[in-house]
Amino acid sequence: MAVQPGRRRLIGAVGGLALIALSGCATQSTRLHDTPPAGLPRRVELSATPFHPQEDYQCGPAALAMALGAAGIPASPEVLAGQVFLPGRQGSLQIEMLAGARRNGALAVEIPGTLEALMQETAAGNPVVVLLNLGLSWAPSWHYAVVIGYDLDEGAFLLRSGPMARQVLPFSTLEHTWARSEHWAFVALSPDRLPASADEARSTHALVAFEKAAPPARAVLAYRKALTRWPDSLTLSMGLGNSLYRAGSLAEAETTFRKAAQQHNAAAAWNNLANILLEQKRPGEAREAALRAIALGGPTRGAAQDTLQKIDASQPALESKPDRRPRKQRKK
Amino acid sequence: MRLKQTLAALLIVSTTHVGFIQTAQATMIGTEEVARAHQGTSRSADDARAQLNEAFSRADVQARLEALGVDASDARERIAALTDEDAARLAGQIDKAPAGGIIEVILFVFLLLLLTDILGFTKVFPFTRSIR
Repeated sequence: MAVQPGRRRLIGAVGGLALIALSGCATQSTRLHDTPPAGLPRRVELSATPFHPQEDYQCGPAALAMALGAAGIPASPEVLAGQVFLPGRQGSLQIEMLAGARRNGALAVEIPGTLEALMQETAAGNPVVVLLNLGLSWAPSWHYAVVIGYDLDEGAFLLRSGPMARQVLPFSTLEHTWARSEHWAFVALSPDRLPASADEARSTHALVAFEKAAPPARAVLAYRKALTRWPDSLTLSMGLGNSLYRAGSLAEAETTFRKAAQQHNAAAAWNNLANILLEQKRPGEAREAALRAIALGGPTRGAAQDTLQKIDASQPALESKPDRRPRKQRKK
Repeated sequence: MRLKQTLAALLIVSTTHVGFIQTAQATMIGTEEVARAHQGTSRSADDARAQLNEAFSRADVQARLEALGVDASDARERIAALTDEDAARLAGQIDKAPAGGIIEVILFVFLLLLLTDILGFTKVFPFTRSIR
């Protein structure tokens, strides 16, 4: 049956639209083919990344073990399962994957959801844990895998995934399956390293969470490293001071808070400085710092007033019991 | 009777927990709080209520984790590793957030592609011959 010219045009238009719609999904891949990112090697494969084949539904613990191993933190999927696997959901949740990495002493940072970011990180030596949906949006099959490199000439990423030690996944396939998790990915780094692709906001967010879960000494290391890149951050300075305090380095904590207080004239820094001074039995200086915190006002005013009360209340106590042991701040 | 006892125990646990947070936070200002203030999401004067909510969302997540088969002591440690923000987020999505874990799908996709190959919709495998 011959198709009318008008209809033919219509079919062409519909076909064209369908093609645009299809290719629209893989825009990143197309762009990568046309203009490969500058300054990156053509091919990267982090072959030293350990491989743990997945058992049952435990791709979460397996992927985490591989990323931690690459960061120099040996961990077995069996132990990690108790930290991140959720039997009732037959899988692992994203928030817990990040917390699990942090608990084991790795700085876990969510990275931007672009194929370039995957390349930047692997080129910098950091394998990337990605959450893929291998199924369909309405019938999801969530799966964690580890991107260990790419090959621009082949147009593919290299992954450790499930039972496969080396999976070659075309750019567009990865992009499609990754898009359904809203391009969720993170790197797990040794605390003396920073991600190659994440900006100040993402990195700071990760550091604050790291401080919460990791041993204080490792948090100190991570904050120091981050402050070399972002020296003007009040949050990072406060984090360094708080971690030093928790690690028991009172003198260094004092220096850090004093510097932050002067650099940013921030009430929170003055307040914490007051606390450290009080613990070092210098109530006069502590009082001065607390008064500055109160004068600056803001949301921390209440806490600063409590600090002042504590200082005033401690003075007679200090006289009667001069060898009072300093109070440790407790994690809640 | 049993219910009353449980309720009383729960109340004691939750209120002492809140009290503990307050004493620990009262004087030193934590980094999380500074970061929040920086993002403009600082808490209002309703600090105590926010802390109460936090304690509840943590208790909530712990109960859900245990219900989903996590060992009680593991669950406690897992909660402790979360930031306040993450604990609250997890409380809201623990039953519906994506849980990565599937492996069967790789086999499934293989079989599906094999089928579509045989039906002639795709041509992925070199050894398949379309029935059409």
